[in-house]
Amino acid sequence: MADLSTISFTLNGRPVTARIAPHHTVVEVLQNEFGLFGARESCGQGLCGCCTVRVDGDPVSGCLFLAAFLEGTRVDTVESLARGGVPSVVQQAFIEAGAFQCGFCTPGFIMMTERLLEEHPDPDEDLIRHYLSGNLCRCGTYPEIVAAVQLAARRKSEARLDKAS
Amino acid sequence: MIPFQLAEPASFAEAVRLIDPEDPTCRAVSGGTAMMLMMKSGVFQPSKLVSLRKVEPEYAAFTVSSDGALQAGALVRLGQLERSEAVRAAFPVLADTFPVLSNVRVRNVATVGGNLAHADPHMDLPPVLMALGAHITATGPSGSRTIALTELFRGYYETALEPGELISGLSVPAQAGRRSAYVKCTTRSAHDWPALGVAVSLAVTGGTIQDARIVLSAAVETPTRMTDAEAALKGAPIGEEAFRAAGEAAAKAAEVTSDVRGSAPYKTQLVRVNVVRALRKALAAEGAV
Repeated sequence: MADLSTISFTLNGRPVTARIAPHHTVVEVLQNEFGLFGARESCGQGLCGCCTVRVDGDPVSGCLFLAAFLEGTRVDTVESLARGGVPSVVQQAFIEAGAFQCGFCTPGFIMMTERLLEEHPDPDEDLIRHYLSGNLCRCGTYPEIVAAVQLAARRKSEARLDKAS
Repeated sequence: MIPFQLAEPASFAEAVRLIDPEDPTCRAVSGGTAMMLMMKSGVFQPSKLVSLRKVEPEYAAFTVSSDGALQAGALVRLGQLERSEAVRAAFPVLADTFPVLSNVRVRNVATVGGNLAHADPHMDLPPVLMALGAHITATGPSGSRTIALTELFRGYYETALEPGELISGLSVPAQAGRRSAYVKCTTRSAHDWPALGVAVSLAVTGGTIQDARIVLSAAVETPTRMTDAEAALKGAPIGEEAFRAAGEAAAKAAEVTSDVRGSAPYKTQLVRVNVVRALRKALAAEGAV
């Protein structure tokens, strides 16, 4: 039996604690302790991006990240994005562009896109494809995903202009 | 994964003390990306991991001097270097390499020390840093010592680190006008591990190559300097003739292995062609090629 320990971190804006064993991954703890299934393990090797969560702002692969390392961090999952049932700008853009078929990979693409647009508010297609190259969509909706990212970038830019004027 | 113990010491010295040199199931972990793959597949079954993540913050910091030399702690994450304007300016070849090294999430987590200690011959950074003339600091129970990257890699997943020794820092000298490039070939899909990596670094004056470093990776058991190919370039005028001579010399000398990414003859041809491409890429700004 593995030794359990208690970790404390901030999950989607709320301070939380969890009882974990050293070999538990972030995805396991999110699913088993918090009932959050947006980050899901698919390839299990950090290649597909389905398990993407943000730790202190940086996207990481939740399947390759030990839960013990979350102590004292801020963790954000796809479940943090919608406010009062209203999707985020990126989520809405994915819906409007039809940027998914089965939807299994979508939370990972959306979490990566949220960070991409913070770092690069006006990314060209090459940068979008590079930044998302570690995310796989087995349904092959890549053209729609690129369109969704461009749409979200445009909407965010318009919102900034509205605010400024 | 099977259960294991986890220690999270607050100092590097304490981490070194907690690692039992006699016990191969007791290892250090930093980002953990490569270790997690080995643990999940059952290749590595640790009894105890010693996390370096809570050691003194200086091990997660780096500096670039005014002349362009890099000093980095072992815990510096690859993404930190990738996003540094100073690193990009001092080492354009690193700026060029990071985007093809795994993906954004792995670079956000994987560390410089872990990347080098892992010694998987398919990794992108070791050949590049070797071509740049880098060395590491290894710290163990009896103190610290410096190891040139040319001496660090001893074989397939094997390094010159003694049991109980950890990489504590990385040092890359100022390049003083040297031209460098990295070229990789993936044969199955764009994000697969490479079948071949070629890193080159050249000192040129006028139209003449004064000094060359050529490093192969992935197709060979461990990142390796191609000294015959380097000799073929020394003193040669920049141009296709010299590049092709270097490509031939590398293809002749490289001990290429067959695996799922290609047969040895196929990868030998990749060496012949891609040494030339890497040299062209490094010298493209010279206007001579």
